[in-house]
Amino acid sequence: MAEAVAARAEKAVPRAPVLRGRHDFPEISGRISAIVLQGRLPRFFWAAFFVCFAFVLLFLYSITYLISVGVGAYGINIPVAWGTMISSFVWWIGIGHAGTLISAVLLLLRQPWRASINRFAEAMTLFAVAMAGLYPILHLGRPWFFYWLLPLPNTHMHWPQWRSPLVWDFAAIATYATVSLLFWYMGLLPDLGVLRDRAKSRPAQLFYGILALGWRGSAFHWARYRTVYFLMAALATPLVVSVHSIVALDFTFAITPGYHSTIFPPYFVAGALLSGFAMVLTIAIPLRWAFAVEDLITLRHMENAAKLMIAAGMIVIYGYASEAFFAWYSGQPYERAMMAQRAVGPYAPLFWIMLFCNCIVLQLLWLRSVRLNMPILFSIALIINVGMWLERYVIVVTGPSRDYLPSSWGEQSLTWLDFGILFGSLGTFFALVFLFIRILPAITIFEVEELIEEKSGAA
Amino acid sequence: MSLHGVIAAFADPNALTQAARAMRDKGYRRMDAFSPFEVRGLAEILGMPRTRLPWTVLGGGIAGGLLVYALILYSVEIDYPVNVGGRPLHSWPPFTVIAFEAAILGAALAGFVGMLRANGLPRYYHPVFNAKTFTYAQGGKFYLLVEAADPRYRKGVTKGQLTRLGAETVEEVEA
Repeated sequence: MAEAVAARAEKAVPRAPVLRGRHDFPEISGRISAIVLQGRLPRFFWAAFFVCFAFVLLFLYSITYLISVGVGAYGINIPVAWGTMISSFVWWIGIGHAGTLISAVLLLLRQPWRASINRFAEAMTLFAVAMAGLYPILHLGRPWFFYWLLPLPNTHMHWPQWRSPLVWDFAAIATYATVSLLFWYMGLLPDLGVLRDRAKSRPAQLFYGILALGWRGSAFHWARYRTVYFLMAALATPLVVSVHSIVALDFTFAITPGYHSTIFPPYFVAGALLSGFAMVLTIAIPLRWAFAVEDLITLRHMENAAKLMIAAGMIVIYGYASEAFFAWYSGQPYERAMMAQRAVGPYAPLFWIMLFCNCIVLQLLWLRSVRLNMPILFSIALIINVGMWLERYVIVVTGPSRDYLPSSWGEQSLTWLDFGILFGSLGTFFALVFLFIRILPAITIFEVEELIEEKSGAA
Repeated sequence: MSLHGVIAAFADPNALTQAARAMRDKGYRRMDAFSPFEVRGLAEILGMPRTRLPWTVLGGGIAGGLLVYALILYSVEIDYPVNVGGRPLHSWPPFTVIAFEAAILGAALAGFVGMLRANGLPRYYHPVFNAKTFTYAQGGKFYLLVEAADPRYRKGVTKGQLTRLGAETVEEVEA
């Protein structure tokens, strides 16, 4: 039995290595920091940045318009009072979760392949959470009063409604953003020390020197650093699950058909991972190609991310199935009608496109040749991104549009502002990613060096 | 100029670990080591006591959770009780959700601040950067520093001992 397994393993195609080729420490720290310090980025980098920047301007314009005109300016109405603001919020938060999974969960599981992708995955988390956080605030009728969600002493002498999931949501997102920032900055500290010592110009030395807080790689520091870093990872893991579960509770607390379901928290978490890994691939595939770091971010990373996508995706498909099953099994006419309306009602095209993207296209990832083919993998990642956005939109709007009384049925129509804000936030997100690549090391220097040391020690 | 100590560079982590152990056996106590990434077990060899940081993190978590729970309790029981259809004012299930988030936040903040405090960071100046052979950034070298304040430190003797342990370069560091 064991022999048969061993024989099969020998025959199998060898997996791509975590790092390709031979490396030494000065070469690694030099190459990674050169991306930042030389400042000679290819012309297409800036071209792409300026395209994104145009969308940043669109974002600013849309937000200004929204605040000056009011929330009626985008496609919400009674009965569908939750629109793209809520679906985009859930989508962005979900994207953030994959970054935390890579950096925290894979650290706890001691997966060596996380080392070269955790930094930009964490940055992705941070920027995605920043985008997500804006949406519910803009969705408020008077966004400038968003701080009323905080228990602050103000002239009204009121308190937040602690029993409301929206207040939990605020606590969860604020905590998640803060912990992600701390975890990211802590991971950056040793690398900022490298940049400080390698920087040639005075402003760069000052900038990285202040940020590095005097890090010098002392053995005592490393030991404490490691202890706290692992503890932070252990804290971030339940945090991620709690954040998206709370986001799901925003829906399940309502008795609206299509919202009121116990499957939502786990199913939302799985959906978050699926869309998050799709976004990791969306960033990683161009990144490794553009900066010629294909030997550090290898096919192994791409393949593992694709495998995690299909694992999370199958849970999402199970979620779709059980949602439909329980609507039918409950025997409740309203739940059944809502499910039927999803499939044949006004939003049916979106529903079927969503199923096509998330259920059918996803299955291609079972094939190893697809997982290793970058253009195809990139296209699949984009399709899943779209599919997951549609999923959230379908969930958000179909419930309220078809609730208990046919007299209160109604649809919403999207306006240019829905798209202005959605594409504006996408542009802002990518512009931030570009700036991050320009200013901070996108690959964790010290962890890659550790990996090389472990490899040479084993050989 | 006073002397901070003497710093020796080694080619790889194993050489550094062995040298640290040998110097420790010779009775040196005030030593530090520098590496581009963590060399496992080195801090213990250099005599670092078990860190109490996990307790700091736990304390931060408990404090964060309790504080926020107490705040909620104060607001619903004392400051602004609202009776909604006779439901209990102290509805603990929703309150624990917020207290959980606050606990995570407290623990993470305590861990980060505690790590910086225990490590004496941020620090504007450190003598090790005066050493010409010391570069944290190049990443290829592993350093052992013996402080001049060590009772066993003897000019020349310590340098010789480090050279015999296989150091590539040995340099005196000014404070």
